Amino acid sequence: MAVMTYIDAITSALREEMARDERVFMIGEDIGAMGGVFKATKGLQEEFGSARVIDSPLAEGIIISSSIGAAMAGMRPVPEIQFADFIAPAMDSIVEQAAKLRYRSAGTQTCPLTVRVCYGGGVGGGLYHSQTNTSWFIHTPGLIVVAPSSPYDAKGLLKAAIRNDDPVLFFEHKKLYRSVKEEVPAEDYTIPLMKAAVKRKGSDVTAISHGYMLQLTLQAAEKMHKEQGAEVEVIDLRTLAPLDKDTFLESVARTSRAVVVHEANRTLGIGAEISAIIAEEAFDCLDAPIARVTGPDIPAVPASPPLENFYMPSVERIVAALERTLEY
Amino acid sequence: MQKRPESQSKPQLKSTTPSNGSQPSSVPSRAQQERTYALPDYRQEVSEITVRQVRKGEEVRYEVSGDLHAPVPPLRDSKYLSQQQCIAIYRFMVMNRKMETALEHLYKQGKVVGGVYFGLGQEACSCASAYALAKDDWFAPMIRNQGSLLVRGFRARDTMMQYMAKAGSPTKGRDGTSHFGDLYERNMVAPISMLGDLIPVLSGVALGARLQGRDIAVMTYIGDGGQSTGVTYEGINFASVQNLGLVLFIESNMWAYSTPSEMQYRNKDLAERAIGYGIPGVIVDGTDACQVYDAAHEAVERAHRGEGPTLIEAKMMRMKGHAIHDGANYVPHALFEYWKKRDPIARMENYLLHTRKWLTLEENKALLEEVEREIEVEREIAVNSPMPQPESALGGVYCEEGCHTIRPKYGVPKVRKGTGAFRQTEAAVHLK
Repeated sequence: MAVMTYIDAITSALREEMARDERVFMIGEDIGAMGGVFKATKGLQEEFGSARVIDSPLAEGIIISSSIGAAMAGMRPVPEIQFADFIAPAMDSIVEQAAKLRYRSAGTQTCPLTVRVCYGGGVGGGLYHSQTNTSWFIHTPGLIVVAPSSPYDAKGLLKAAIRNDDPVLFFEHKKLYRSVKEEVPAEDYTIPLMKAAVKRKGSDVTAISHGYMLQLTLQAAEKMHKEQGAEVEVIDLRTLAPLDKDTFLESVARTSRAVVVHEANRTLGIGAEISAIIAEEAFDCLDAPIARVTGPDIPAVPASPPLENFYMPSVERIVAALERTLEY
Repeated sequence: MQKRPESQSKPQLKSTTPSNGSQPSSVPSRAQQERTYALPDYRQEVSEITVRQVRKGEEVRYEVSGDLHAPVPPLRDSKYLSQQQCIAIYRFMVMNRKMETALEHLYKQGKVVGGVYFGLGQEACSCASAYALAKDDWFAPMIRNQGSLLVRGFRARDTMMQYMAKAGSPTKGRDGTSHFGDLYERNMVAPISMLGDLIPVLSGVALGARLQGRDIAVMTYIGDGGQSTGVTYEGINFASVQNLGLVLFIESNMWAYSTPSEMQYRNKDLAERAIGYGIPGVIVDGTDACQVYDAAHEAVERAHRGEGPTLIEAKMMRMKGHAIHDGANYVPHALFEYWKKRDPIARMENYLLHTRKWLTLEENKALLEEVEREIEVEREIAVNSPMPQPESALGGVYCEEGCHTIRPKYGVPKVRKGTGAFRQTEAAVHLK
């Protein structure tokens, strides 16, 4: 077992899947000779050739739609969108082609592609290099939306995504790329999609999160434990759509309190759906209103550090929400 | 404006380098010198009919200019088609039209969900183009290419059941019209309503085949309206950069719903766009099945040789409204008259019966009756298919029990296999 960063775990998953299955190929901007702007694909063109690690024209639309076509011919494309902010030109093909293909063919056709998307703020990227637009895709049945929070999860989930027969949007948080390290097995393993994980056991309150925010939620839970002796159960959604509701409902049934944390802006973020599900299906269990810690409803993450810090949910804000919920 | 190249009796898709010696009368313009490819013009008659929108206050009308009384030229002899093949294409064109007539009747009987779209006047382009594809090639029709489906082996009942949104339709009533596909037998990508979207997807299919060691042809269509989309550019450009065997028919049928082509683009001919992509461009008369076939055949051969995409502009006119509800009152009557004389089926019939004498009157009569009977059988089957159960709207969204994986179409991909061993990556570059 080696200690790996989140980005190394991703590179490792890509390399292993390419070696395991000759149907897997990659296409994206600057992913080949350069190895990607974050170096997620570094060394892969060298190892697998330029026919299999393709430097695309600067057009997100063609990256996705050509992948869809190749998938129809039996390949397993892993296209890269350099920044989630640039995915809008590919929305048409993702939503109208990829997401609907199985449904509109009455279940006879599939579109097995894994779109790797680099997202998230907290790195001074400004309005157009920091967005968390996961909800666009969560609201599109037919897509699987995955957002791993750690190196171990990133590798196992990416390998599962590539082997899955449905289109997957795989959101990699750029802040996590090199800020988190953990032990990652060298051997082959996958983590099931559409299944949440309990990342910290607790009995007082349930905190539900994913991605970079999951790491902050874990820090907040640790703080609550040390400073107040409160035991926070932390649930990592791992997959945002289709949503595994059983794991958090089971937890809320025990703790009777829920806090949802996400970086996307508040309105119709994943927290809205989770809150609605808890209210519909676990209303009798609740001892406090459900709390949400989210980005504000502004168009994107602003550039200036004070503004960006204001946007990003922090450990302090999560702690405050947990305290409010516990004290209710 | 670039002078239109003369019609060539032996048009070729091969790239030609413009030579100063071949144009003694004038010094070639800079654009001409820089062109990688010539634009072969297959048409015997170069129609100069143009439509212009004229606004007077709130009133909008369309003005036609050009010689509306030009005689109809004979069909060109195909360089490749045999007697039997010409008759086969003719039969598909007849079936295409009769199927759409049957759909019109079904609509009037209240059996159709939504509208009916017609390829009237465009049957030669749909049928002769698809006829040029090999079995392993792929295609994606647009709404006016319902004839292509017949050529590729779909039954009229498939399209008819789609229009009636029946349980037995290929999409089980989920989508209507000719929006269905088949990735397994007939290599057809299902069309969607977003125009231009099929072009990059088809390029991707060719990319997938290339990774499996095969150069295939992928054929699709776009109108003079739909080609205005950005995705059209992306799709052709990608095929060009990657040398993929895209065969793109631009069906210049003069109207995009109610908008005349003058309001879509400013070039004289859309085939000229090929120069911008660095690929061959060809102009054909879309109502001449022989010309359409020859251009398609050469483009398909080029694709099979791995030489990349071809743009073929087929000139013709949409002879009905956008869909059945649209009376097309905005189209000047004289235009319909002009193009009615150029009806693709009548021209082909005349060619087979009188020019070539490949069909006798009796044989033709028998052929028409046989197609009529077949359509009636298909219509009967389609009408008797049940409507879907309401709950069947659910399911088939994600892979369920027993969902299948698409196998590589042309065998194991011919790609370099790595070791998959982990290597440390470098530190990130920008961003804190």
